[in-house]
Amino acid sequence: MRGYSRALGVLGLVSLSCMLLSVSIGSASLSVADTFSVLTGTGTPLQQTLILELRLPRTLSAFATGGLLAVAGALMQVLLRNPLADPYVLGLSGGAAVGALLAMMAGVAGVVVSGSAFAGALLSTFLVFGLAHGTGSWTPSRLLLTGVVVAAGWGALIALILAMSPARQLPGMLYWLMGDISPAANPFPALILLIFVCLLVFPLGRSLNVLARGPMQAAALGVSVRPLEWTVYILASLLTATAVTIAGSVGFVGLIVPHMLRLVLGNDQRLILPACALAGGTLLVLADTLARVVIAPEQLPVGVITALLGVPTFLYLLHRSR
Amino acid sequence: MTLHRLMTLLMTLLISFPLTAAPICVDDARSESVCVSYPVERVVSLSPGATELLFSAGAGKQVKAVSAWSDYPREATTLPQVGDSNRLDLEAILVLKPDLVVAWVDGNSAPQLEKLEALGIPVFWLEPRTFEDIARAVEHLAWLTGHEDTGSVRASEFLSGIAELRNRYRGASPVRTFYQVWHQPLMTINDEELIGRAIQLCGGDNVFGHLPRLVPRLSAEAVLEANPEVIITGGVDEEDRRWLEQWQRYPGLRAVASDNLFLVSPSLIQRPTLRMLAGAEELCQVLEQARARL
Repeated sequence: MRGYSRALGVLGLVSLSCMLLSVSIGSASLSVADTFSVLTGTGTPLQQTLILELRLPRTLSAFATGGLLAVAGALMQVLLRNPLADPYVLGLSGGAAVGALLAMMAGVAGVVVSGSAFAGALLSTFLVFGLAHGTGSWTPSRLLLTGVVVAAGWGALIALILAMSPARQLPGMLYWLMGDISPAANPFPALILLIFVCLLVFPLGRSLNVLARGPMQAAALGVSVRPLEWTVYILASLLTATAVTIAGSVGFVGLIVPHMLRLVLGNDQRLILPACALAGGTLLVLADTLARVVIAPEQLPVGVITALLGVPTFLYLLHRSR
Repeated sequence: MTLHRLMTLLMTLLISFPLTAAPICVDDARSESVCVSYPVERVVSLSPGATELLFSAGAGKQVKAVSAWSDYPREATTLPQVGDSNRLDLEAILVLKPDLVVAWVDGNSAPQLEKLEALGIPVFWLEPRTFEDIARAVEHLAWLTGHEDTGSVRASEFLSGIAELRNRYRGASPVRTFYQVWHQPLMTINDEELIGRAIQLCGGDNVFGHLPRLVPRLSAEAVLEANPEVIITGGVDEEDRRWLEQWQRYPGLRAVASDNLFLVSPSLIQRPTLRMLAGAEELCQVLEQARARL
């Protein structure tokens, strides 16, 4: 366990410094000294607004979103025992996207869009749950197939909405679909959820480890598989729905962060889940910082950067691990 | 040769040179000359702006169909539609047998219109980037449709109105201005864009005028750092102040502190047509109010 706390300690330090970095740089130039003076309660009003009202909530939101997605991805991979599983594989982001895009098409903004996205995500979760659960005989592959087909249905609806919307609304919709943290306002519900799910590892970690090896073994070792699987599914869905509500469908974090960490740290869920929270959060904080500054004062959607950063890193780790 | 045969020869010559359809060629925004049989009788407009310019040129009666959202002037709303600007229904256009199609560089899809050109339909492209471009577009459309007089009167009225505004606000003290085009993502315009030119005309100083992209996408942070003295937007619809209210969260902004948050009528200022003169006048008045509050 000592190795675990060291790994988590290092990750925690990296996360903290990345967050500090992210708060210090942006299109307005502030020095690290300025940042510290603001964080300790001094600094000009403009600096305070920039850091406390714009950058800090955004950085925290990015961290929470990345963390939630990575943990949700790790849970899905355990649940489906499929390395290609990510938080969106069961159609949840599609449902959220249809909700958000419909709200945007109706011309509303802000909270209504997030609320509608959350409702869409929940609808999709229950739809997949109901359909996969329906006849009684249930397997992860049946859940996966149901989810993938429901996702395809959402995809068609998204395309339909994009095709029917007036041109001036398209940039906003595309930014949502690519994942964009700039609209995020209050990061705290998501952060609390993230901490809560990391604590859940203590009661659930051992059972998850067993489940990852296969349901037969898990049942043989006294784990009640079906309730555990549904708990994991509902939990992962809730995390993903929260993340998608904050930042739209940010791709890739939920797929590659768990894999990266398994390549480096091994496959113990008691370590992987909190490590995912830290590493996923850090990746998204870095990506969002880049999205804000590469062509400042213009902005890119963060989803573009996560993929650009994540793909080469992941390929490198995969190559090295052979 | 008998007189009779001479007459027959003359008749033949006359018939082979029909008097009605003399060809005329006019350069469009691509600097390509668009040749039509003069005057064109069946025009299809492929953007709301083009529709307005055609009606301004006096060619309203010759417009047989328009693109979606062509809501001005009122007569245009009753015309058949041939789809959204960026997704045209080519079949609907072909069925109308137009002898001229008026397209818009920023909105229409070039591959779609290449198909129309390949089928022999002349396409006149518009790309208004300056007030002079707008006036010239009206004139050229008037030439093609046989309303030279109307076109030149409207064009010169427009340009003299613009010149008058330029003179009136030449010495006005510059006001640092942020114009918000859209909220999510946050978008503005640079100095090359027509709204940007209107801001300069009124003695405004666009805080993002120097950016390279015509319609840059920004962070709210960039706006806070630029600290504009006035924030102006067209909003989503007329009289929709929601985007302005969002800036109230930052009382440190000069525009918020001096209560310089203004709406201008989007249909006047956001369309490159002759109504832009009225839009520019409104914008100038708004900036004048802003000056008084600083």
